[in-house]
This record gives sequence, structure tokens and C-alpha cells, in this order.
Amino acid sequence: MDYAIQQIVNALAFGSEYALLALGLALVFSIMGLVNFAHGEIIAVAGYSVFFAVALGLQSVLGAVTIAIVMGIVTALVFERVAFRPVRYAPTTTGLLTAFGVSIVVQNMLTLFVSPKARAVPVLGPLNQTFFIGPYAVSSLQLLELAVTIVAIVALVLFLNRSLLGLAIRAAARDFSTVRLMGVKANRVIATGFALSGFLAGVVSVFILARRGSVEPDFGSAPVIKAFVACVLGGFGSLAGAAVGGMVLGFLDVAILVALPQKFGGLRDALTYFLVGVVLFWRPQGLLGRTVELGDKEV
Amino acid sequence: MAPAQSPAAPMPADRSMPPLLRSILGGLVVAVPVVVIGVLILWLAPPYQVRIAFAGYVNLVIVVGLQIFMGNANIGNFGHSAFVGVGAYFVAILATPLAAKKLSIPNAPFGLSQVVLDPIVAAVVALGIVGVLALLTGFIISRLSGIAASIVTLSLLIISHGVFINYTDLFKGAQAFFGIPVVIGLPTAIAVAVAAIVVARVFRDSQDGVQLRASADDVLAARAFGVDVVKLRFKAWVLSALVCGAAGIMYAYFMGAVIARAFFFQQVFLTLAMLILGGMRTVSGAVVGCAILSIGLEAIRSLESGATIMGVKLPEMLGLSGLSLGAVIVLGMAFRPNGLMGRLELDELAAGWLRRLRRS
Amino acid sequence: MLVVENLVVRYGPITAVRGVSIEVGAGETVALLGPNGAGKTSIVSAVIGLVPSTGRVSFDGRDVSNLSPEERVRAAMTVVPEGRRVFANLTVAENLRLGGFVRRRERDQDGERDRYLAMFPVLRERLDQLAGTLSGGEQQMLAIARAMMSKPRLLILDEPSLGLAPRIVARIFEHIVELKKSGITIVLVEQNMMQALAVADRAYVLSTGTIRHAGPAAELRADPRLADLAIGGH
Repeated sequence: MDYAIQQIVNALAFGSEYALLALGLALVFSIMGLVNFAHGEIIAVAGYSVFFAVALGLQSVLGAVTIAIVMGIVTALVFERVAFRPVRYAPTTTGLLTAFGVSIVVQNMLTLFVSPKARAVPVLGPLNQTFFIGPYAVSSLQLLELAVTIVAIVALVLFLNRSLLGLAIRAAARDFSTVRLMGVKANRVIATGFALSGFLAGVVSVFILARRGSVEPDFGSAPVIKAFVACVLGGFGSLAGAAVGGMVLGFLDVAILVALPQKFGGLRDALTYFLVGVVLFWRPQGLLGRTVELGDKEV
Repeated sequence: MAPAQSPAAPMPADRSMPPLLRSILGGLVVAVPVVVIGVLILWLAPPYQVRIAFAGYVNLVIVVGLQIFMGNANIGNFGHSAFVGVGAYFVAILATPLAAKKLSIPNAPFGLSQVVLDPIVAAVVALGIVGVLALLTGFIISRLSGIAASIVTLSLLIISHGVFINYTDLFKGAQAFFGIPVVIGLPTAIAVAVAAIVVARVFRDSQDGVQLRASADDVLAARAFGVDVVKLRFKAWVLSALVCGAAGIMYAYFMGAVIARAFFFQQVFLTLAMLILGGMRTVSGAVVGCAILSIGLEAIRSLESGATIMGVKLPEMLGLSGLSLGAVIVLGMAFRPNGLMGRLELDELAAGWLRRLRRS
Repeated sequence: MLVVENLVVRYGPITAVRGVSIEVGAGETVALLGPNGAGKTSIVSAVIGLVPSTGRVSFDGRDVSNLSPEERVRAAMTVVPEGRRVFANLTVAENLRLGGFVRRRERDQDGERDRYLAMFPVLRERLDQLAGTLSGGEQQMLAIARAMMSKPRLLILDEPSLGLAPRIVARIFEHIVELKKSGITIVLVEQNMMQALAVADRAYVLSTGTIRHAGPAAELRADPRLADLAIGGH
């Protein structure tokens, strides 16, 4: 029983992280149909910014968190302006490949100008402490992840549903030219969407840094591939779907880890992806996705 | 084209020719630079460069294989390296001499550690296994579109890698599987590349290929004309897998060793970049993209390891080749979203130029 | 108020609009008529800036040719697009709110909204319903109300009768007359020539991207050549 509760907490924490990542991807996808493979590099740049700040003498946790989030937002905006605007109206595949190119460029710049090896960033260690609630060992980081994810989802939903800019973003998601006819600045809406996804990436970066205590060039790309899968699993472009897909993936990961004999532990990813394939075969539009009508761009 | 064209100068794009012959000739025209470069290398280059060139030819076959599915069906594919890996590993398992197998996979299932096949037979069997896997995966992938399909191809890559690494009894895990008989050289690679190009071109020009490309542009319209998109995607997928599998077999028979790492993201990204740069709509695009990136990256790689230029020793610059690769993709998508070749094959372009020359 | 000079719209090799010039005075209702493919919607898109074009578009004496669509909307021109294009995933109330986007800093949004809800009472009943669930006629009313929320001085209506039953079309046209009486300048793009001419002061008749006839609505109504064009002849 204890073991089960422990694993559920683990699954929730994994799931929250995937959900946060997936939300960032889903947001950008829902606004401009871009599958942003470079989301991981936003996370990486945020992480390396903290690394540089520490190298320059930064020691406060709050300072590091601020830097990560601000740099996440800035990086997302820069990517949008430099790489994604030229391919904004291009087909999905073109955007996906651009994103993928950006990801390669940034990873290799980090390799070239910093180091191909992992670099220690101990500053966020205090966020990750283990304590006991009764018999259960709980990590403060896991609780934080869960709490922040819930807050982020609620805030995002409120913003998108209640604020005028949020309305504009949602409307732009479906009908870009008509939203311009309302006098909404197209570029502004897109930039806002990117800034939000950069914010989420910054938050995720803090969590990964706190857990791992180091940065390396593929700091963000490995988790983003999972998040990408979470998005598709939940229904691409649906924010709720991204959150649900992330959680499902978290539970899937932990369940497979628990159920699989030690000997096959290495097959965890293979099995996760196998199940993802099965789900997609059963529901190509994802768990919460709407069936795409024929004639839509995505078919 | 004017029917009064002189019959003495049959051009690849001559409309009076049977379509199949025209496709084959067109493919051969596209393959000319491939052969010329290969012959030059064989003639002039030192052995270590032949080895590098061989890797280039393996990539060429992979990129052409990738083009068959991705270019015609217009679905992002990340899973092709799985088939390259399967092809390479199965000839390794089937053709490696017993002595080497005793060391590498003594506990292989089905008594495979006791089996040694002739390299050609092993290649046929390995290709058969690739084909069976392609049929199974194609059943799923051909029914999906867009991003869902791409994700499933990604799943395929990760699953195959997981199996290679973890099924140590058969695949020897993360370490290199060595002792494979080295039975081919660069000339065979060139021949296989030419064959792959012709096959891809014939498929592209075939009725299936044309219908598939049409359906990729507009599924609704294609369905309205009674085009069975699922069946066409399936055919392209299987053919694409077989060509990629052949590339893997080549790789194993030249290198004498295979390693799972070689068939993972790095190869996927490199070959994708080649296809995108050249233009995935045409077989020529695959060839051009592969040639430019292979040569360009090799030049950059020599800088990367700290080259000496005019007496100045440059520092090591790890990541430079990757950086260039990414930059090529980003710039390519921004300025030439259809790739360098766009929608026309090399021979079609050449025929167009010739026609204009004659007219003027 | 709106002056379009020598407008040309090309889509790749196809030229949809070949040098069209149009003038609309303040307070006028001008109809742009013509069969399918005459280039009407291309003109509308170019006037509001959604498609690239050459030639000159000026509004209120100001050259707006180089402005983005959103800047043109800020300058108080607005379009009710062909096919209505309500935001199906937003509620009626949210659609109206977004319509008032350019005036988001002003306070009297509610007053404006009440005015159009009074004009289209059916919308008031459906405020919290998703716009995608409305009928075609209701969507057209919403699209008009949404456009009016920006307090435009020029309202361009692109095929408001498209796909609607004759009875509903008649109602929509009654509302257009009502709007006209309020003093706003209207450009009415229609295939439905006779009905549009009944509402308009003047009209231009287009076919294959050029203006074939122009004149006061009453005169054009009597012109027998129009019947040919209405069936799609050239």
C-alpha cells in the first residue's frame, strides 16, 4: 500500500512535468499550427542562463528561478521572430522541420560554445528536499511540480477563457484572417502565445535543474520528445488534451517501471511508445482531440 | 511537346517513349553524378576516404528510401532508421562466422548462434524480415495522417532502438556486433545507389506514385476521384522500408561491424536534413541534398577536429557540423521550403532548358 | 469616403481583379455585383488588406494601401466576411467582445452591445451558446453585430445572403436597410443582384475581374443586360 502511494506520487510528479511541457507545445500548435520541436531548446537556454548566472556569482534560488523564466520567455520570442515567422503560413511539415533545425542549431551552439559535457548547476538544490509525511518519503520538488502544474493549468485556462487577449488567441487558433478583421494584431497574438509557452518552458527548466543539478546540450530535447507524444496522445492542439496526455504518460511510465521485471527495465521507453502507437491506431485524433474534418489542413 | 521533334535525339523526357522506359532513363540521368563521383573516388582517393565515401553512399540509399514514402505521401518520417538497423543486424546475425558468433551472441534464440548463411542468402533473408516488419507497421501507419502518423514512425524508431539495446541475446546490446564478413566494396554501393534511385523514380512516376502525390496535396479531392490513399501509402511505406533495409545490409557488409547507436536519432536527423535540403518532392532532391551535405559536412568535420589551415592550427570545434546542419535546415525552410530542387527532377529541368535553347 | 484606384489582385499566374476603380461617398450604400468568380471577394480582401494587391486604396482621404488589416480596422473600416466566419469555438457573447477589440479601452462597450442585441433579439437569447451551434441566419446576424461592435464608419458586407433561405435573406436585408438609415457607409457585395439593388444607392457590376457597368441602382435595375450577367454570362 505504502509502495503504491509512493508510486502514485511519483507518477503525478512525472505526469505534471510532461503536462507542463505538453501545454507549452499545445499552446503554440493551437495558435499557429507549429509543432515546436525546439521547445526543448527554450528549456535548455533557460537552464544555461542559470548556469552562466551562477558562474558570475548568483546564489539565490529566487534569482535563478527568475532568470530561468525570463530567459525562457525571451528565447521563445527570439525563436518566433527569427525562425518561425518566415514559415508561419507554410504547411505543418515545413514548420516542424524548421523547429527541428532550430533545435539542432541551439544544441550544437551549446556544445560548441560551452561544452559537450554536463555542467554542474547546484543553485536550485534547496528546492529538492526529501521529508516524511507519516511513513511516506516525499520530495519537496515533486509537490512543487504538482502544485505549479495545477496553478499553471488553472491560470492558463482562466487567461484563455476570460481575458480579451485570451479570446483573441483562441479565435486565432481557428481562424487567423477573421481575427485580424477584428483589428487584432496578428503578430502580437502569436508573440503572446510564444511568450506563454516560453514561460512554461522556463518553469520546467527550473524543475529539471533542481532535480538533476546540471545542464547539458540535450537538457531539454529528451523530455520534449515525450511531451510531444503526450500532446498527440491527448489530441494535438487541445490544451486539456495536453494536460491529460501528460498525466497519462507519467502514469504509463511509472506503471511500466513497476510492472516490468528488472531485466527488461531498459525496454521502458520501447513499451511506452508501443502503447502510444496502439492508442493512436485506436484514436488517431488523440484521447480528447476532435475528429479532424476532411479538407482541414491537417489531413 | 511538339510531335515533330527529331527522333535522332531521344531525350529522357521525350513523350513518345513508353512511360516506364522514360522513368528508368530519367532515373539513370539523375544517377549520372552519383556514378561519376563514385568512379573519381575509386580512382583517386586514398582508402580512408573511400571509407567515408562509402558511408555517404549508404546515406544516399537511405535518403532515397526515405523520399519514397515521405516525398510522395508528404508525411514526416522518423522511423526509417529502424529498417536500416534491422537490415544491418540481420545480416550480422545470419552471415557472421561461427567463431565470431561464439563470442558475440552465444545464447541467440532459435539456434541462430549455430547458423551461418551465405552472405547473399543472408541478405535476401534480412530483406525479407525488413519486408515483414514493414508490412506489419505499414498496416498501422498507412491508416494515419499528419502528425499522428509521424509520431508512430517516431515510436517505431524508439522501439527498435530499445529492442536492439536490450535484447542482448540476439543483438549484442549497446556494444558493437563485429565479425561480419566484409564482402562488398564501393562499386557495389554505387550500383545499389543507382538501383535505388531508379526504383524510387519509377515509383514516383508510376500511377500509384502520381495518385499518392495528388492525395498528399488534397486528400479530399483524391478520395473524390476514388484514390485509395491507405493502400498507396502502404505500398510506398513498404518500398521505402525495403530500400532502407538494403542500405543497412550494405553498411554491415562493408564495415564488418554494426552498432545500435548508428541507427538512432543522429542518422535520422542527418538523412532527414539531406532530403529536406534537396527537396523531398523529387528523387533528384534526395540525391542533390545528400551530395551537398555529405561533402559539406565532411569539410566542416575536418575543421571541427582542429584542422591546420595555412600553418595555423585551429582549435577543436565540436558541434560545428551539427550547427551547420541545423542552419541549413532553418535557412532552407525559410527561403526554399520546397528544397533546392522544387518539383522537377534533374532530367526534367535539363529537358526544359534544352527545349528553351532550341526555341531561341 | 472609400476610393479604390486601379486595383489589381493576382494569385500566382491568375489575375482575379484587373484594374478596378471604385468610389464610395460618405453615407452611401454601394453594391458590388457579379456572378461567381467575378473577383468580388478578392476586391473585398484587397480593400481590407488580407491579400496583396497593387493599386491604391484610400479611406477618408488617407492612403491605407500599405496598412495591415488590423490597422485598417482601427481606422474604422470593417468587413463581414463571406461565409460569416463566426468564431465557432467561442460563445456569442465572446464573439461580440472580440468584435469590440479595437475599442477595448473605451467604457461604453455594453451600450454598443445592447444596441445590436436590441436589433437582433435572437442573439440575446443565445449569448452563452457557442457560435458554431447557431443557424446560418443567426450566424449572419452575429457576424454583422460583431463587425458593428468596432463602431466602423465603413461596413463591407461580403455576400450576406450566401446559403440562406429566401425568407432569412429578406430579414437580413431589412437589417441592412436599418443600418443604412443609421448613417453608416455600406459596401454590399452580392450575387443576388435584384435584392441588392433594392437596398443600394449605386452599384458596380463586375465580371471576370473588371467592371462592366456602373450607375445608380434604379437605372441598373431596369437594364436588361444585367439579366445576362446574373446567369453568369459575360
